[in-house]
Amino acid sequence: MTASNQSSRAAPAGGTRDGRRDVIVRWAVISLLLTWLALPIVPLLIWSFSFRWFFPDVLPADYSLRAWQYVFSPTSGVLQSLRDTLLISGGATLLSVIIGVPAGRALGQYVFRGKSIVELLILAPIIVPGIAVALGIHVLFIRYGLANTLFGVMLVHLIPTLPYMVLVMSGVFANYDTSYEAQARTLGAGPIRAFWYVTLPAILPGIVVGGLFAFLVSWAQYILTLLIGGGRVVTLPLLLFNFATAGRNDITGAISMLYIIPGVVILLLSARYLTGNASAVGGLGRL
Amino acid sequence: MVKKRVFGTLLPSVAALAMMSGAALAQSSDEILAMSWEELVAAADGGTVNWFMWGGSDSINTYVSEWVGGQLKERYDIRLNRVGINDTVEAVNTVLGEAEAGVTDSGSVDLIWINGENFRTMKQADLLFCGYTDLLPNNRFLNWEDPAIANDFGTPVDGCEVPWGRTQVAIGYNTANVQDPPRTVPMLLDWIKANPGRFTYPAPPDFTGSVFVRHVFYHAAGGVDGLLGDFDQAVFDQVAPKAWALLNEIEPFLWRGGQTYPNSSPALTQLFANQEVDFTVTYEPSSIGLNVMNGTFPETTSSYAFDDGTIGNVHYVGIPDNSPNKAAALVLANLLIDPEAQFEKALPDVWGERTVLGPDRVPAEWAARFDALPRHESVVPEADLAERSLPELSSGWLTAIEKGWIENVGR
Repeated sequence: MTASNQSSRAAPAGGTRDGRRDVIVRWAVISLLLTWLALPIVPLLIWSFSFRWFFPDVLPADYSLRAWQYVFSPTSGVLQSLRDTLLISGGATLLSVIIGVPAGRALGQYVFRGKSIVELLILAPIIVPGIAVALGIHVLFIRYGLANTLFGVMLVHLIPTLPYMVLVMSGVFANYDTSYEAQARTLGAGPIRAFWYVTLPAILPGIVVGGLFAFLVSWAQYILTLLIGGGRVVTLPLLLFNFATAGRNDITGAISMLYIIPGVVILLLSARYLTGNASAVGGLGRL
Repeated sequence: MVKKRVFGTLLPSVAALAMMSGAALAQSSDEILAMSWEELVAAADGGTVNWFMWGGSDSINTYVSEWVGGQLKERYDIRLNRVGINDTVEAVNTVLGEAEAGVTDSGSVDLIWINGENFRTMKQADLLFCGYTDLLPNNRFLNWEDPAIANDFGTPVDGCEVPWGRTQVAIGYNTANVQDPPRTVPMLLDWIKANPGRFTYPAPPDFTGSVFVRHVFYHAAGGVDGLLGDFDQAVFDQVAPKAWALLNEIEPFLWRGGQTYPNSSPALTQLFANQEVDFTVTYEPSSIGLNVMNGTFPETTSSYAFDDGTIGNVHYVGIPDNSPNKAAALVLANLLIDPEAQFEKALPDVWGERTVLGPDRVPAEWAARFDALPRHESVVPEADLAERSLPELSSGWLTAIEKGWIENVGR
């Protein structure tokens, strides 16, 4: 209150006043968001170190490293599962980019017969429950020897990740001017050089955003992994569910901490691409 | 269209790769049964066993991965891959799915921790490898004449699974809150009415909720004797209304006025840990001790079995007929019923579960060691359990009682 009174009296230049209010609003929003995102994690963190934490105590009666010892013990399989989950989500993201970029270009740049059907098909996995599709795919995967393998799980994760990737990339390409590429070609660049120096820098923010979506969507898969992995491919969500359903809050908390880290790290690394770039969030190019 | 292209180009090459690597030596049931034990151990050497088992207990996981896995590697050079699942039915469905897809000798499951309904499903569908128990050297320590071992929830075992452990229902309570717990089922029903909101049980078909309801059912029937054998609709129709009446009578006095029931056994465990209710019901008496040790329950927790008896059963391991590693799975099954393995499992800070071996079948020095086993002070004494053990009913009864509860009590 006092701050705004002061500034309204003291500042003849309207820009400064607005600027300060902007800063206040921005920080309020940021701290609210941080509280929202971080607060649910706090009890998990405390659980992971707790020993004898009974309702209605605010804090545990004792602390212990038992849960963390179990998580890091070589026989619990948690670290191996972290590695497998990273491999699967990383691989699914890479495949999504490789498929999603050309697909997005085709959808964003060209008009062709049946385009709206193709768009619908690409969105279908978000609308149709994945389990229905996966049950059919499971039979095929068994026949091809892909069931119960890491690679099979990676492939099946493409069902939910691809729509996000293609959607983002088609938005990017809808606002992309191919004459820059033509310019590069007339200046003597081959198709690869033109892609590397012209196309890629232009679409990189879109790839990062789409890739982030793809990674996180794959990272959170449960039922597809269980079905296609047949229990042999154990990702972190599966392990987490094992202990959550068994009521072991301490171990669930410790695995949750491990589970959160990659998402946060990737989010921080790609933060500068996530600044509301219109072309990266344009959907199918006409949203 | 995009998807079609991917699958069109990737799949055949991947399939070719998988076929090259997957051409391991499949072991058919007949080949295995024709072998001697020495030949079996030789065939299993250097192999892997994929053991699917409920993975929600760090104590059990650690025993299996470290002790059993370590011994298996050391003695037989077999690698144990413990696959943790949330529910045994996941493993059963995997095998069923493989059978439907025509996978007859390269399944992904080599051993399942199993009993009851899941065993019956697999046995009826001919999905289990059977008739090998005589091959196992440690089979001599088992008392197959004990009907509790020869029948798994009323289904004859017929050599299709190997017993691994013995459990019996126990009631846990906090001595700080309840000084004189009700010692029989009718006393408990009275206690519930005198102490509103302090008791509940998981809703059947949860395993533990279902067994609690069976205790009331036995009480309503005036004892278990009339219920043994195959399902009998006439007896059921006579007993069931009494049981539902008893359960509906206590319903308004349950936790949250009986408006809702915990949906699983862990949910009840959590309610008890938070002291929202005064009793917990468990199929696994040793879990009370484990939960005190891992800090889930307070140290003032104690447990007992009803004077009019609690229901007990045996759990087993079974080998799917499409397992490609049957020899290694048999070596593991044999190791699990080794007195040393059973003794390690019975130690209170490892798992604390009773041995499944016949006390008069094991060598005298082992029998003495089993007798002298220490017990966690929160766990009901072994002798109390043994003299109060009630048999399980056959699967037909279980299904009818669960269905009846849902229709008449749960609604």
